[in-house]
Amino acid sequence: MNHESIATSPHFSRRALIKGAAAAAAYTLLPKFGASDAAAAEQSHTLVIAAPATPQSLDHEFDVSLGTIDSVGSLYDNLLEYEKIPDPQVPAAFREDISVHEDKPYNLNLKGKLAEKWEISSDGTVARFFLRPGVKSNWGNELTADDVKWTWDRKLHLTGLGPFQAGVLNITQEDQIQVEGKYVISFHVPKPNPLLLKQMVNLSNPVYDSVKCKQVATKDDPWAHKFLENNSAGFGPYVVSQLIRGQQAVFKPRSDYYRGKPYMDTVIFKEVPTSATRLSLLQGGSVDVAQFLQPLEYTTLKKVNGVAVDAVKASFAVWVELNTKIKPFDNIKVRQAMNYALPREDVLKTVFQDLADKQTGCIPDIYPNFTDKFWSYDTDLEKAKSLLAEAGFKDGFKSTLSYDAGNPVQEPIAILFQTALRKIGVELTLNKVPAATFYDFVTKRQQSLIFYLDSPWVPDPGYSTQLYFNSKSYVDYSNYSNSEVDELIKSGLQTLDPAAREQNYTRVQEIVMTEAPWVFIAWPRYVLARRSNLKGFTYYTSNNLRFQDFYRG
Amino acid sequence: MPVESQSQIEPTRAMWLLVARRAAYGLRYFFHFLRVYPGYAAGYIIVLTVALVSMAAPAIAPFSPISADATVYLQPPTWSHLLGTDSTGMDVFSRLIFAPRIDLAIAVLGTLVSSVIGTAVGAWVGYFQSAAGFKSFLSNAVMRAADVLQAFPVFVFAIALVAVFGQSLNSLVLAIAFVNIPIYLRLMRSQVLRIRDLRYVEAAYIFGVPDWLIIGKHIVPNGIAPVLAQLSVNIGWSILLTAGLSFVGAGVRAPTPEWGSMIAMGFPNVMTGQWWPSVYPGLALAITVFGFGLIGASIEFLADPRRRRTLAAGTGLVPNRA
Repeated sequence: MNHESIATSPHFSRRALIKGAAAAAAYTLLPKFGASDAAAAEQSHTLVIAAPATPQSLDHEFDVSLGTIDSVGSLYDNLLEYEKIPDPQVPAAFREDISVHEDKPYNLNLKGKLAEKWEISSDGTVARFFLRPGVKSNWGNELTADDVKWTWDRKLHLTGLGPFQAGVLNITQEDQIQVEGKYVISFHVPKPNPLLLKQMVNLSNPVYDSVKCKQVATKDDPWAHKFLENNSAGFGPYVVSQLIRGQQAVFKPRSDYYRGKPYMDTVIFKEVPTSATRLSLLQGGSVDVAQFLQPLEYTTLKKVNGVAVDAVKASFAVWVELNTKIKPFDNIKVRQAMNYALPREDVLKTVFQDLADKQTGCIPDIYPNFTDKFWSYDTDLEKAKSLLAEAGFKDGFKSTLSYDAGNPVQEPIAILFQTALRKIGVELTLNKVPAATFYDFVTKRQQSLIFYLDSPWVPDPGYSTQLYFNSKSYVDYSNYSNSEVDELIKSGLQTLDPAAREQNYTRVQEIVMTEAPWVFIAWPRYVLARRSNLKGFTYYTSNNLRFQDFYRG
Repeated sequence: MPVESQSQIEPTRAMWLLVARRAAYGLRYFFHFLRVYPGYAAGYIIVLTVALVSMAAPAIAPFSPISADATVYLQPPTWSHLLGTDSTGMDVFSRLIFAPRIDLAIAVLGTLVSSVIGTAVGAWVGYFQSAAGFKSFLSNAVMRAADVLQAFPVFVFAIALVAVFGQSLNSLVLAIAFVNIPIYLRLMRSQVLRIRDLRYVEAAYIFGVPDWLIIGKHIVPNGIAPVLAQLSVNIGWSILLTAGLSFVGAGVRAPTPEWGSMIAMGFPNVMTGQWWPSVYPGLALAITVFGFGLIGASIEFLADPRRRRTLAAGTGLVPNRA
């Protein structure tokens, strides 16, 4: 019997046996959501999501984990949002229109959310927002400028994401945020800042209900952190009705939401740690969405009836940090050689199953001002070898590549890279680092080579390059330092002129691509595996779901 | 000089002849045992085959066990890749036959180290168990320390040790040795407690033979049989532990061919239908551990004087099965 006949036997095959066993295991895991229940759920207004983890905290100030950002996007609202457009490559999906629109105010295609109007002063140093009157929080308190003020004051007083989010706007003092009326709030910055509006869209900057937060605040916890860890106090479309960490979170819609009650009456966010089990649950119809599967699992799902897989271009990137302070990676030619040696096409095909794109630049290719005209690192081992020889490493060298044990794609990429480097005399030792300590390894910046996966949430070249290539940034994990780059990034973040910004960031990309502080690998796509009758998937550059987008059709 | 040499050589030759005769008898007895109980023979055949194949791996492996080839990733078993390829295109067969070099080496070394230390300490502890003074105190302290060590789940303890010492082959050997020491310690101690009260040991003591010589020459050789039986079982178990540590990422570094890490690397593909990167190393692991288990059982049989006598009863080596 050959392997094809085994695999395609309609009666009994190993694959069927394995799938059957897994489905049985999955059924046991989720007894309340059997296949018959799922059939009923198909017509229902209940959304069941199988996720790797439940939210650890609902206070986004101190938590950026996957479950948390999915929750925050549905519990809270921002002042502004981008207009939605159909995804040009995946018609069933929508995405934010983040392009530069010279015909629109401030060159952005924005839409009011909690703010119904907004303006920026002619010198670009004041942004004023006129809030929508009559908007109620989930605690029944009306939205006022005091809520926005309290929200930003909180950022300045806490030590989580807030100082960074305020810092990119050059806001460091409370008096830079001024209440001008019950529904009018203004932000004052010392120099023109092109991020003033974009930051109001950022998932990290939702507006809190200050009345409720002040009620629950204590002397020890004046910013209501303990309350917001388990509860929400915002103006978003959902409220959390149950949060059992490690098991599930349940969300209910608000009938008094100012944009109308969302379609889904119940959202169950179920923790299913193993991706194989999430896959089985989706295949069996027990859940509507299986999050963060492995690339090969998505490929398998494409053949399953009743399941759809949407893979949209995203802001993620996966790369290897080349520590520019550690020999031999302080040498540009060595860094370039490493880039030429990576078998990128093989990685995209075998590891990502073509669910990623070649990373041909240093900012996401979906962001404004991105250019790939400085890309030159298609795999070329001869070129890599000659660059090493020019750098004085004719016989190669030894180094260690650290990778995250919890990330299923990093080990196979590392093995492919190791095999390729062996051909040019570079002996790479692979160091598997437990997921719990991996980010310590990254942030200490003491590894010669280490994987990194990240996404700049604000669709702006200044924001992206500031994060990774400004020598003073805490995320500059490759220790990259170039004074011209620092200056260009800074001046680009102090002008509203789109042409000047484009010029600046094109030059930044040219320098960074030439000096190669990273081994550029891939832009993985954001992939949503869902029941095919679930519609409305919208991609955000913060890479999170928002339950209010979904409906059945 | 020639006369003196002659007188020295004669007893030596006689001794060697005796040893050779005993060895020949032992071998005949051993092969007879395997013929009578072929089930045990399977264990020796399995382990011998695994050891020989792994030694010959560089000559018979068709591909490098650590080189990825993206053009053939996840290929099912074919004539060019007998057991298929894994998710990075590495040949499963080549890796499978190289793997015992790591698994066996770690397990055998770890077990030997633990057996030597455990046996020595166990003999000392047993000998001084009820002695007065500091030696007794120390003996009891060692036993309580062994209790503490054994109170930890072995696997968790081994992971902790590897985490402390760093991820390397030496750390794995050390971890395996460390978690196994209490087993040999207890085993030898119980043997010594029985033997130390026998007349010939008392006689040696009365004649003023030093304690260390009594332990080393008169007690340990007579109590070692259960330790030897335990060795083989323990090697099998240590292979499992090595594989388990690699499976959870605390073992050898990728892409070193090792059964546990091969199972772990192939595991995500099982759900998508590519079972071969995981199942074949799993089978190899199970069969090898089974082989060591059979050898352990056979040693237990051979070390038991009553069963040995029964087997050798009757005419020469013919077993008495009545």
